[in-house]
Amino acid sequence: METYLQFMLLGLGSGVIFAGLALGLVLTYRASGVVNFAHGAIAMYSTYIFSSLVDDGQYPIPPLPNLLSMIEAVLGWFGIQVDLPDIPPFVQLGDPWSWPMALIGALATAGLLGFLFHYLVFRPLRYQPPLSKVVASVGLMLMLQAAIVVRFSNRPRNVAGLLPQDGVDVLGTTVPADRFYLLAAILVATALLYLVFQRTKFGIKTRAAAENEQFATLLGISADRIAAVNWILAGILAGLVGILAAPITGLNPLNMTLFIIPALGAALVARFQSFWIAVWVGLAIGAGQSLLQIMEIRLPWIPDINLSQGLPLVVIAVAMMARGQVLPSRGAIERGRLPMALPTRIRPRLMTFWILFAAAILIWAPFVWRQATINTLIGAVLALSLIVVTGFSGHISLAQLSLAGIAAFMLSSLATDAGWPFPLAPIFAALVATGFGIVIGVPALRVRGASLAIITLAAGVAIEVFLFKSDGWFAGDSTRHVADPSLFGIEFGPNSPFFFGDGKVPSPAFGLFVLFMFTLAFVAVIRLRQSMLGEQMLALRANERAAAAAGVNVTSIKLAAFGIASFLAGIGGTLTAYKFGTFNMASFGVLGSLSVFAFSYLGGIATVSGSLYAGSLFPESIGTLAFEKLFFPLGRYEAYLAGLFLIVTTLVQPEGIDVFDRRERRRIGWGFVLLWRKATGNPDRTKPDWVERIYPEPKHKKGMRPSPPATVDAATTHEDGGS
Amino acid sequence: MKPVLHTEDLTVAFGGVKACNGISLDVYEGELLGLIGPNGAGKTTFINAVTGFVPWSGEVQFDGSSLKGLPPHRIAHRGLSRTWQSLELFGDISVRANLEVAATKLTPMMAIRDYFGSSERVAERVDETLAVLEMEDIVDERPDDLSMGYRKLVGVARALVAQTKLVLLDEPAAGLDRNETTWLAERLRQVIDFGISVLLVDHDMGLVLNVSDRIHVIDFGKTIAIGSPSEIRDNEAVIGAYLGAGGGDE
Ligand SMILES: Nc1ncnc2c1ncn2[C@@H]1O[C@H](COP(=O)(O)OP(=O)(O)OP(=O)(O)O)[C@@H](O)[C@H]1O
Ligand SMILES: [Mg+2]
Repeated sequence: METYLQFMLLGLGSGVIFAGLALGLVLTYRASGVVNFAHGAIAMYSTYIFSSLVDDGQYPIPPLPNLLSMIEAVLGWFGIQVDLPDIPPFVQLGDPWSWPMALIGALATAGLLGFLFHYLVFRPLRYQPPLSKVVASVGLMLMLQAAIVVRFSNRPRNVAGLLPQDGVDVLGTTVPADRFYLLAAILVATALLYLVFQRTKFGIKTRAAAENEQFATLLGISADRIAAVNWILAGILAGLVGILAAPITGLNPLNMTLFIIPALGAALVARFQSFWIAVWVGLAIGAGQSLLQIMEIRLPWIPDINLSQGLPLVVIAVAMMARGQVLPSRGAIERGRLPMALPTRIRPRLMTFWILFAAAILIWAPFVWRQATINTLIGAVLALSLIVVTGFSGHISLAQLSLAGIAAFMLSSLATDAGWPFPLAPIFAALVATGFGIVIGVPALRVRGASLAIITLAAGVAIEVFLFKSDGWFAGDSTRHVADPSLFGIEFGPNSPFFFGDGKVPSPAFGLFVLFMFTLAFVAVIRLRQSMLGEQMLALRANERAAAAAGVNVTSIKLAAFGIASFLAGIGGTLTAYKFGTFNMASFGVLGSLSVFAFSYLGGIATVSGSLYAGSLFPESIGTLAFEKLFFPLGRYEAYLAGLFLIVTTLVQPEGIDVFDRRERRRIGWGFVLLWRKATGNPDRTKPDWVERIYPEPKHKKGMRPSPPATVDAATTHEDGGS
Repeated sequence: MKPVLHTEDLTVAFGGVKACNGISLDVYEGELLGLIGPNGAGKTTFINAVTGFVPWSGEVQFDGSSLKGLPPHRIAHRGLSRTWQSLELFGDISVRANLEVAATKLTPMMAIRDYFGSSERVAERVDETLAVLEMEDIVDERPDDLSMGYRKLVGVARALVAQTKLVLLDEPAAGLDRNETTWLAERLRQVIDFGISVLLVDHDMGLVLNVSDRIHVIDFGKTIAIGSPSEIRDNEAVIGAYLGAGGGDE
């Protein structure tokens, strides 16, 4: 018994981080209605700062795009070698710092991060739909995570402990004293926050702003300034628990970033409202995980499947099932819009041209380009999956790559172990992913927006720890062989022979197979967008209850969206598995899911043609390869830039690259036509058809439309504001 | 005549507040019934209850059968549709798509057939509705880009396009000017001529008194008067309710 108690108390170490992060989540939600997925990343980032200051007296400079290296590269094209100054990765600030100074420096950074998040990202997004806010915070999470990987690498780092470690005897077992100091610290912090919120003007104002932002504004409360203070507080708190608990939990760029998941569970149980509940649940998750770990070892009847890792998912799922839409609304105004879902037309001649072009590259281009094309196409298939579920039906899924991983795993079992023939094995594998995807979609029947992002993220982690990593189930070993596909005796795997070309891997035969699969998926999704099913998804996305009132069967359409998307993800997963010739769980991690989401959103989440842009953003795809050939190798910067651009996209161009490109093509193309007509003295001002086809501009600015026929005056005076 | 919608003792409670407190109401076939009452009287709640958006007790019969326990889309499929006080359009798909969504009862088989391009679209009914409401020239626009007047119209069109027997309109004239309201009134009478019954909620007394066959007045969730427009105009209780609420007639 003592051991169980001991392990529970030991688990308070991570419990305190969960609790501290959950507190911060509640703070920022109450202050500005944002569920900040990057909150764990703030803790992780500031802990690295602390450690770097204490160990080396160095302050890492966040990776910045260095225009000078662009210039170097461009001059390099002309054979001119120059060496312009690089931005240094660190500033040396004297000798290693004493810990109090380093703590202050790190906490200042944490507070600054909180402030910048609010000021630069979430304040500008305050009227945007929840989708944009979730996307932006996922971008921040990726970016901070990648920034640390760029500066400090992926390796775990030892953090100097600040709290005494000597053993304390409790009820017959010995536990290091730091657990109790941490516990005391978090309880004091919570009590302080609680008092501040109950007793001070600042607290009352925050509560008023959380209840009803518009009303609070009428009372002269600056919701904005209040939100900023809360963000700073939350940041500092995250930094503090991170630094204090890091010696216990260990520190690497990923683990503390993902502590956000148990913290989200705790905050959910607290309905993002109650500090005390958030803290107790956070502590309980920490203690519970530690307890489950020892039980798994001690008790033979408990399967060794990393149960402890699944605890946060269980908490999240139970909280959602018990409460439904748990995030309380804030009476906030929402006037932002979702990414426009412009239709993509099937244009046979144009498509034939591109397919032939891609085929030619796959057959004759040097193998790096062949490989990049294959990667692009597989990435585009994965992006199509997100286009269906997020772009069309409006549901955020952060587990798509995990679903792809399930299909990849199934493929290796079916095709290699069980010897199923070619089209059957991958199709069935994708269907298994579809089943899992529909299960993940079930919570979507009750919740959407940030809540759904939370549960899909947790589901992705659960798939990773239960299915891919645990010994008992799926994987066992982490890599498994996947046999090359073949049909009627013709092989088209990456190692298959082909008539032309350099004979290097991947074989053009495989490239053509991927091209075929992509084309199929692409046309299928275009068709979906045009079909009534697709229209109902878009209606659902625009307004769920109005859709229900208009006779849309919300349940079926949602599950259909999740099902179709998961099937596509499954196809993407099988293609990935064929490409590597193995199932390797490392290619289907949670961070990967987030990146796929980021790339898809960047490329254009609501337009089918956006999938190609998305595909070109994947690592080792055409886009990245071209960039690297022209400028400089991206390497670890790739994830960092993806996060950065994701945030920029939500801020300035929610449609992503695809619509941006269409609009510019329209503008420039039409501009040239006008110039040409002017030059040739043609007074014609009518627009050719293609102008509208590329990008249909609203014919009338809102409110400038004439009113219904019988009226004399236009209804402009009745406009309900907004732009 | 038999009622197309019949509610008996319809009660909706939000915590302790009874937003509808035992409303018994009939809409007869081919009738335009006005439902009025001061702000907060429970009109929107009544519509929400009947269309399956809030739980209720009592009884609701539509077209002879009970609506108890049906989800909103099933109620819509039976031919009972509604508009929303706050519009609630599908702002980012075209007006035509807005109507197409409402006009189809999508079954899985039908979705599949349509996906492979072999089902007849609902285009005809959509075109018809567009013609009746004289809105053909905005079919390809997105509601977000339209003026308030047109957006209201899209809402009405979307409610009418399904094979509707009864349409519940929640303040269709709010935000419209005089001319637009007059125009809307004409359209509503036209809708009745097509054999559709209408329940009209509006604060524009001129409109309601003008177009309604009968008027049902509620206050604090309870019926306070039922009668013809001229009866309602002179009803003491109604005048009292409106004066008490500070006047809802705008
Ligand atoms: N979801 C809800 N939860 C709690 N109370 C509600 C809810 N919806 C409505 N109410 C309350 O029920 C009462 C009736 O509201 P309802 O919206 O039905 O009035 P209404 O007659 O449509 O008013 P208006 O003319 O202003 O539109 C009001 O007191 C309102 O505050
Ligand atoms: Mg109302």
